[in-house]
Amino acid sequence: MLVLTRRPEQRIVIGDDIVITVLEVKGDTVRLGIDAPRSVRVHREEVHEALRQANAAALLPEGEGALPPLPPGRPRR
Amino acid sequence: MPTEQTPVDVPELAFPAGLPGFEDLHRFALAHWGGPDSPYARLVSLERSDVAFLVAPPEAFFDDYDVEMRDDDAALLQLEDPADALVLVMITVGERADEATANLLGPLVVNTRAQLAAQIVPAEADPARGARVPLRAA
Repeated sequence: MLVLTRRPEQRIVIGDDIVITVLEVKGDTVRLGIDAPRSVRVHREEVHEALRQANAAALLPEGEGALPPLPPGRPRR
Repeated sequence: MPTEQTPVDVPELAFPAGLPGFEDLHRFALAHWGGPDSPYARLVSLERSDVAFLVAPPEAFFDDYDVEMRDDDAALLQLEDPADALVLVMITVGERADEATANLLGPLVVNTRAQLAAQIVPAEADPARGARVPLRAA
């Protein structure tokens, strides 16, 4: 892991188009500003990990028509 | 944004950012699944035949689930008219019908006109909404 020391208002540039700015350091929290292309998803790690796990769990078993019973949902309006 | 839509068939849907855990997959097809009254659709990878998910419009199971998109997500999806947006949630099946859950933390938003989609985290993401919420059949 690359380790860098930065002060508030200093930045880190990743590749050509991702810039992370240290906005504020207060006690044990750091506020960061992140500029990245729209196609790069930026999430807090816990949210990203929750989505990864949920998507892995949602993967359907292979083969058509092999689904277990499902609730019917409401009638369409 | 209201979520008053029903699944539609989309033969090819681009996910420019992939899906968390499946970042290398960018092309999917959306196909209605089940009988005429079924709210479900299958989201099938066009790049890996073993990757498929079950999705449904949240209003089939949940009241008051509105998705507030961040501007950068709307821009990624080239969404200008809310009427083009289809909101879907991923369903995790269980062994029994009452074990099925929905991912309300990371809904899918589809621009049906541009055939672009993304799994987003809404602007006011409420962790209590959870990634595995039991389906509440009406």
